[in-house]
Amino acid sequence: MSQMEMPLVIFTVLSQTAVGLVAISAIRQHAADGPAGSVRPEWMTAVLLLIAGLVASLFHLGHPLGAPMAIKHLGNAWLSREALGIGVFTALVIVGFLSARGRVNAGLSFAAAAVGLIALFFTGMTYSPPGFPALNNVMPFVFFLLTAAMVGAGFASYFTPAEKMPMITRILAVSLIVGLVVYLVVPFLWLSGGTVMRQTGLNYIFSPLYWARIVVGLVVPLIAIWRMRTVPAWVPVLVLAGELIGRIAFFSLAVHASANMGGIY
Amino acid sequence: MKKQLAFYIDAKRCIGCFTCAMACKNQYHQESGVIWRDVYELKEEIYPHRERAFYSLACNHCENPTCLNVCPVVAYYKREADGVVVHEQDKCIGCGNCIRSCPYGAPRYNPVLKRAEKCSFCWQRLDDDRKPACVLSCPTEALQIVDLAEFDEANAVQYPAGFPRYPSLNPSVRFRLPAMPKMIRRKL
Ligand code: SF4
Ligand code: SF4
Repeated sequence: MSQMEMPLVIFTVLSQTAVGLVAISAIRQHAADGPAGSVRPEWMTAVLLLIAGLVASLFHLGHPLGAPMAIKHLGNAWLSREALGIGVFTALVIVGFLSARGRVNAGLSFAAAAVGLIALFFTGMTYSPPGFPALNNVMPFVFFLLTAAMVGAGFASYFTPAEKMPMITRILAVSLIVGLVVYLVVPFLWLSGGTVMRQTGLNYIFSPLYWARIVVGLVVPLIAIWRMRTVPAWVPVLVLAGELIGRIAFFSLAVHASANMGGIY
Repeated sequence: MKKQLAFYIDAKRCIGCFTCAMACKNQYHQESGVIWRDVYELKEEIYPHRERAFYSLACNHCENPTCLNVCPVVAYYKREADGVVVHEQDKCIGCGNCIRSCPYGAPRYNPVLKRAEKCSFCWQRLDDDRKPACVLSCPTEALQIVDLAEFDEANAVQYPAGFPRYPSLNPSVRFRLPAMPKMIRRKL
């Protein structure tokens, strides 16, 4: 992986974690009976994740001072839409954090969650370019949604009252099972594509990164949750580590269409 | 159809001498490792002969350029008059999005300027009624410049084997396929 892309690994995983955290916080506060949990620290965590992600994203630009210009092409460029979406999401989360009094206002909570999910969709479109046949489809959006669900639910467990832990445990377990199925299936589906997509599938299947991500981020957390019937404090850290490894794989193992020039596509 | 300049790559004539790629380098003095035009040998699975065959490739100045569509700062524009896709490097913030997105690998990262760059079709030379440096330099006239609005070569191909097919971009490039060598076997 080129050094250019490590900032993108950090930015995408942290911002998606914040989206998941806010969405699950909104559901837990306003769509389920019982105590809300530690909402203010939760939203502060989302703010910190977003700020850390945004700072990291600057390091990926050759000219970080030009970052504000990145919303110039909203008419066509998904990256511009992503920049705007994440910007608005961050603003809403900051307002939510500042105005939280035990709970964040229901309308604001759901508005922030909705904008976050829209921004996540924009990120999915940004990272599914024609240049990478294996990713030029809905998969990046699915991967990013899974990150939001898995790491978001994991982090939400830190701020969830005991009464609502079964709900969070269920959300995390289901997300991890779906994630495990998706990640085990997709590289093998890529094998049935053209030369470049097939090579991407082979790169995944023979990469320690891919298997480390399956074991660290999915299998071990699932076993832990299944045996302990709740979310132990170390599990979200492991899920996050798995996502970071998985994102490094995402940015480094996909083969570019131009790599096979002169060969059969 | 509006005027759309395109490279015509005559693989029947190309001898793989790299003169076009060197002429480009000579004209623009790109940083080491930054390549705007490259010459690709056809792999044996496509051209299984002792003779070899080549495509000289650069930016295809697509009808619907993905580089232009994905650039967040509008650093690309497509010229109305001839369809050439121009990258304005001073506007580029070096996000790498065009580099990832173009399936033809045309935009490259300049590690010194920390910005993208690509083949300009030598638009300054075009405006001066001169050919692009690569076209001018080709000793066999295997690399030519054509206007797709008028181009009428029945045997020309847009997507030959060995070249990625992206109809949504509609790359402005046409090929003549390499000749199949004549096998002469002595009767025993
Ligand atoms: S070949 Fe790539 S860089 Fe050139 S115009 Fe098409 S999309 Fe843009
Ligand atoms: S690298 Fe430059 S030209 Fe390419 S998309 Fe980013 S800002 Fe635009």
